[in-house]
Order: sequence, then C-alpha cells, then structure tokens
Amino acid sequence: MIRKHENSDSWKAGALAIGVHAVLLVGMLVSFNWKAAHPVQNVTEVELWDKLPAPKTLDAPKPEPKPIIEEKPKPKPEPKPIVEEKPKPEEPKVDIELEKKKKEVEQKQKEAEIKKDKELQEKLDQKKKLEELQAQSREETLKDRKVAEKSKKDAIKKLKEDSLSEEKGNEDKQASVANASLIGEYTEKIKAKIRGNVNKALCSDGNPQLIFEISVLPTGQLSGTPKITKSSGSDACDEAVERAIIASEPLPLPEDASLKSQFKNLKLKFRPND
Amino acid sequence: MTVANDMSFLTLIIGASLPVQLVMCILLITSLFSWWYIFIKVATIKRAETESEEFESKFWSGGDLNKLYEAVTSGRRKPQGMGSIFEAGFKEFVRLKQQAGAEARMEISDVMEGSRRAMRAAYNRELDDLDAHLPFLASVGSVSPYIGLFGTVWGIMNAFRGLSSVAQATLSQVAPGIAEALVATAIGLFAAIPAVIAYNRFASKVDRLSVRYESFMEEFTNILQRKS
Repeated sequence: MIRKHENSDSWKAGALAIGVHAVLLVGMLVSFNWKAAHPVQNVTEVELWDKLPAPKTLDAPKPEPKPIIEEKPKPKPEPKPIVEEKPKPEEPKVDIELEKKKKEVEQKQKEAEIKKDKELQEKLDQKKKLEELQAQSREETLKDRKVAEKSKKDAIKKLKEDSLSEEKGNEDKQASVANASLIGEYTEKIKAKIRGNVNKALCSDGNPQLIFEISVLPTGQLSGTPKITKSSGSDACDEAVERAIIASEPLPLPEDASLKSQFKNLKLKFRPND
Repeated sequence: MTVANDMSFLTLIIGASLPVQLVMCILLITSLFSWWYIFIKVATIKRAETESEEFESKFWSGGDLNKLYEAVTSGRRKPQGMGSIFEAGFKEFVRLKQQAGAEARMEISDVMEGSRRAMRAAYNRELDDLDAHLPFLASVGSVSPYIGLFGTVWGIMNAFRGLSSVAQATLSQVAPGIAEALVATAIGLFAAIPAVIAYNRFASKVDRLSVRYESFMEEFTNILQRKS
C-alpha cells in the first residue's frame, strides 16, 4: 500500500485525510439542513380528517353574514366593509381551540338564528327587491369594484339560499355561508394575484371581458391548462391572461382542506383594463 | 414510498436504498484513501525537492567529490533523490577505476559506461518512488464520478418506480428520492475532483524532478570523465 520511505508521513497524512472529511461532513450538515415544504401527501390525509370537525369550526362565522346584510343598503361604501371582514374567516381557528365552549356557542347560535330568522324574513321582502335593484345598478356603477362585487353576490346568493332552506338544518347553512365567504375571498385573492401578472398593454382596445375556467390542485398548482370559455375577441389578450394565470402559480387557497376541493372548477371573470 | 419531512443530509443518506448506500460507502473509502495518498505525496515530493536543492548547492559549491561522497553515505538513512544517484554513480566509478588500474585492460569508456548504468538504475528507482500512488489517484479521478452516477441512476430508478403506484404524480413525491440519489453523485465528485487536481499537480512536479535528475546525471558524467 505505501512505500517504506513514506512510513514517516503516513500517520500525519491519514489524520489530515480524516480531518478533511470531517470538515466536509460538518459543512454538509450545517448547510444542507433543508426543510421540505409541506408535502402534498399530507394534504390528502387532512382532507378526510377535516370533514367531521368542519361544521363545528364554522359555527362562529354565522354572525358574520349579518353585517353584510345590514351594510348592503349603502351601495358604494359596501366593498370596503366586505374587504375589512376578510380577517374574520380566521376565527374558526380560534374556535377550534375553544371547542370546550361549544355549548355556550351553540346556545348563542340558536338565539342568533332565531333573531336571524326574524331579521331575514323582514329583510327578505324589502331586500330581495332592493338587492336585485342594487345588484343591477351596481353592475353598472361598480364595474371597477368587480372583485368585491363578486363576493357580495356570493354572499347574497348564500343568504337567499339560507332563507329558503332554513328548515333543512342550521349547521349546513352556516357552513355554506362561511364557506361562501371564504371561497369568495380566496377567489378575489386569486384574481388579484393573476391581475398583477396580466400584461395590460395587450388588451388595450376597449374593455373586453374574459371568462376562464381553471382547476386548482390542493397545492395551489394548476391542473391542466386554463380553458377559456369567453374570449375577449383578441387572441393576444386571451394569451396574455392565460400566461398571467400560469405565472400566478401557486394560487392562494384557504387553509381548510375541505374548501380546497371547491376550487377544482373555478370560473374567473376578467376585465383586464379595469 | 414514504416522504421524508426532514431532508437533512443525514436522513438523505440513511433513507437511501441499499445499493445507493453501498455506492456511497465505496466512494467514501476511496475518497479517504485518495486524500491519504494526496497528503503522503505532498510530503514526499516536497521533501524530494528540498533535498535535491540542498544537494545541488552542496555539489556545485566545488568541494572534493570524495568528501561529498562520505558526507552523503555517512548519514543514518539511505541517501535519497539526487544523493542516491550521485552515490551509485560515484561508487561504481571508483570501483571500476580501481579495477581498471589493476587489470589495465579496461578502457576509460567502459568505466564511464558502468557508472552511467549505475546512475540510471538509481534514477529509475527514484522515479518509481516518486510515481508511486499516482495511478491510483488517476483512476479515482476518472472512475469515481461513474460510480457516483451509478448510485444516482439506481436511486432515481427507484424513485420513479415508487411514483408509478401513485395516481396523481407530483414533484414532491419524487423529489426526496432524487435528492437521496444525487448525494451519491455529490460524493463521487467530491472524491474525483481533488484526485484529478492532485494527479495533475504531482505529475508535473515529478516530471520537473526527473528532468532535474537527468540533467544532473549528464553533468556528473562529464565531471567524472574529466577526472578519469
């Protein structure tokens, strides 16, 4: 292995060689401590888990729809209150921790539901008319607030559904209202993110509207390419929006795994020049 | 296939499949040996250079060759490098000259030829020592990337085979397997790069030393011829 004349050096050299490897190993250990981003496989596991607790966690948001209802008569300031309400969907997390107080919450819910029923019945007569009128007028006057408008419409729809299906059970309703507000909120977020990536110079003529259908995976990635269901009339504009959608990956999604499935088929309306 | 949340370097090595671990083990041993030889060669070549420099300055200082011979041979350890070439040539020269003086039928050219052959033999022994381990470094430099690549290919094959059983393939299902597999290539390159650099450096140093030895042989032959 080694020559006679090298004997004197062999020990020193061996120690140095081991030292070099030790230094390298330490360097690797220090610099290679990656943490993988949450693996996708866990998401599928969580999805099964969350189905049961979901209604409970969504109990509290029930009061939320009311401010929306009350604020609706004033058309113009509306978008802002809705935007301000975004933080509220985070409440369910707090409620998960406070599940011990569930009973109290449930009592409050019942009271609130009774109140809500009365309010809704009163308001429904007035508001159905008002809201429809407002919705029509808003579409004309608030085109620049389309993002907010969409969530508002969702909320209105959910309210109507609520009032019609109240007999079917309260929890489902509450959940759907809360879910709708969450879905609306995240649809806004997705749109806002995509909007930032659109090259508006390509959609310069007029104010075209595009409708895209996309399917979002639980990771926020797109599954497949976005389908255009309503073209703007200009191929360049369509492609610009499509590129923007692809460039916006990963799209923002709610934490709640059961809501993520709602984004499997998502219709997005765009007015790039707004 | 399990997805490791923790992707630290150690878990990557421990999580790798057996053939990949085997490859890593082989590469680690090779790397250890090549670094060992590198440090040995650094020491021996440096010593050979300083010794030949010292000897040259002593030789050309113009002292008596007999005294120089005694100084070289009287040392406790065997003379090395240029010293051993000088020792072999001068010993042979003196011995042949005595013989030539006694028998009187030996030509001066035969004496020169004999001492030259002795010097050539010593020179070859020296070069052999200088060249030691260089072939090992050369083969580590050229082969260990391939060994690492083999480990990587094997690991990636496993990673993709695990993927085939999953309905919806995502990058995060293959990524840990590939990361594990790539560690093998990393180790292979870590073994190869220093070996190649060291080989080239040592080869050029040995070449320069051999040129120095050869020119010393020629000059010493001239001096002996003048003396005889």
